Amino acid sequence: MASNTAERVSPVSAQTRRVRKPTAVGWLIWPALLLFALFFVLPLGVLSVMAFLSGNPVNAPVHLTLRHFQRFFADDLYPEALWATLRIGFLTTLAALLLGYPLAHLMARAHSRIAHALLLMAVIAPMLTGIVVRTFAWMTLLQDRGVINTTLVALGVTDKPLKLMYNEFGTIVALTHIYVPFMVLTLAGVIGRVDERLEDAARSLGATRWQAFREVTLPLSLPGILAGSLLVFALSISAYVTPFLMGGTDVLTLPMLIYQQVSSSFNPNFAGALGLILLAVSLTLVIAYNKVLAGLAGEEVS
Amino acid sequence: MRAKVDLGAIAYFGCNGAILFFLLAPIAIVSVFAVNPTPYISFPPVGFTFAWFAKFFANPDFINALWLSLKVATAVLVLSMLIGATAALALVRGNLPGARLATALFMSPLMLPAILTGLALFQIYLLVGIGRPIWGLVMGHTVVAVPYVIRTTLAVLHNFDRRLEEAAAALGADPVRVFLEVTLPLIRPGVIAGGIFAFIVSFDQFPVSLFLVVPKGETLPVVLFNYMKFDLDGAIAAASMVSIALALTVVILLEWMIGLRAYLKL
Repeated sequence: MASNTAERVSPVSAQTRRVRKPTAVGWLIWPALLLFALFFVLPLGVLSVMAFLSGNPVNAPVHLTLRHFQRFFADDLYPEALWATLRIGFLTTLAALLLGYPLAHLMARAHSRIAHALLLMAVIAPMLTGIVVRTFAWMTLLQDRGVINTTLVALGVTDKPLKLMYNEFGTIVALTHIYVPFMVLTLAGVIGRVDERLEDAARSLGATRWQAFREVTLPLSLPGILAGSLLVFALSISAYVTPFLMGGTDVLTLPMLIYQQVSSSFNPNFAGALGLILLAVSLTLVIAYNKVLAGLAGEEVS
Repeated sequence: MRAKVDLGAIAYFGCNGAILFFLLAPIAIVSVFAVNPTPYISFPPVGFTFAWFAKFFANPDFINALWLSLKVATAVLVLSMLIGATAALALVRGNLPGARLATALFMSPLMLPAILTGLALFQIYLLVGIGRPIWGLVMGHTVVAVPYVIRTTLAVLHNFDRRLEEAAAALGADPVRVFLEVTLPLIRPGVIAGGIFAFIVSFDQFPVSLFLVVPKGETLPVVLFNYMKFDLDGAIAAASMVSIALALTVVILLEWMIGLRAYLKL
């Protein structure tokens, strides 16, 4: 039926059809498609298949097996590492949100161009400093002979250095520092798009500054909060350097186990299974996030 | 009433000041250890020395790694600018079916834990039997860096006034000339911004590199990490200062070329 109508009003249809048909520029998609097919989709597919194989299919005949997943659940070590990974990810995200929001708000509401540029520099400079370097910085601050403990002992606040690192606390502090800039940059864009006049209107109707923020700006910036949180969570559950160096023997996360399987145990199949579990967790989160976001968007429309 | 408002403002700015201190102080402290002569990390500093910088630049492991990182990041910069800019053009101008799906695919490395990308590439290189060549590392970095270029270029293309191209065409320019003289200069800031981001992502890349480097052929972050597992001395601080100097050069270049403000729109 659609084609009948199209034939009758041919000039219009020709135009719409021309719009629909890929243009010559469309061919430019191929380099990116090839790159992603060969170096992203295919490898991840292989990873997923390897997780269900008994060995390396190149070296010897293999069969399908669930034993890598059984192994994961058979030993408490692995579920506990998954739980520690998620816990560290969650607490890091929460801390990054609490520290990132005020700063993003300040940045979005800075009217002077110089103040804005300086704030942006302050946020981007740590980002450019590198994860290993920033972890090193936190080690010099938090270790027993580090800056904080030396100062505390010298001031007589404590006679014995506090255990600030080689535990989850130190890991979370350093991870928060590393990922706050991602949160700030995501949030600042969204808060910046919230019209300041809405807050002014609420204030002129008698709301206090805090009420106006809580009832107007905060709800409207919710998509940014979700996007930033998801980003920081995804980054922190895949962190390797920081938990390794800041966590010491106290902290064991899934990425550490994955690398251990590849480097010392040389069991890429089990590493694949661990990776797949991490992937499943992050995919579930992405989907849940999209659902929540769609729900929020729907609320706004109605 | 007046006092109350001021109190709120004090809390607001005080809070933000503390957060900025939290962000910047750890980086500043590294510079102290880079010039402090004690053989281990200790505070307060007791003197001033350039010995750690000398140690860093005299250590072939560090220097080779620095060169490798710079070479890989430069290759990634070029590749991701080419691939990213063409992909963004195709996505916006190509009228492709499934353009939304392709965009989601191209953005997905940002959401996927990078350690999985590294592991997956490690496994496929292992199965195919190519080992761990440098070009494999470059491709791995490019996959995680190219989303930034696509994103910045898409942002520019969406704000693009197509009448400029139409005007050029109406004045007799052929499509190639329109592209070279109108389209390209207009999307260049987005491509360059994304490219610089890609460079940084590659230069600081750890999870992907961890799986794809070979002994004696490691990138700087991996070498620093391995060193820090056993030693925590001023050489790391000196290496950090070198990295920070490189990073700051990039920030200043960025501000100078396109203005950092463009980043907030991404």
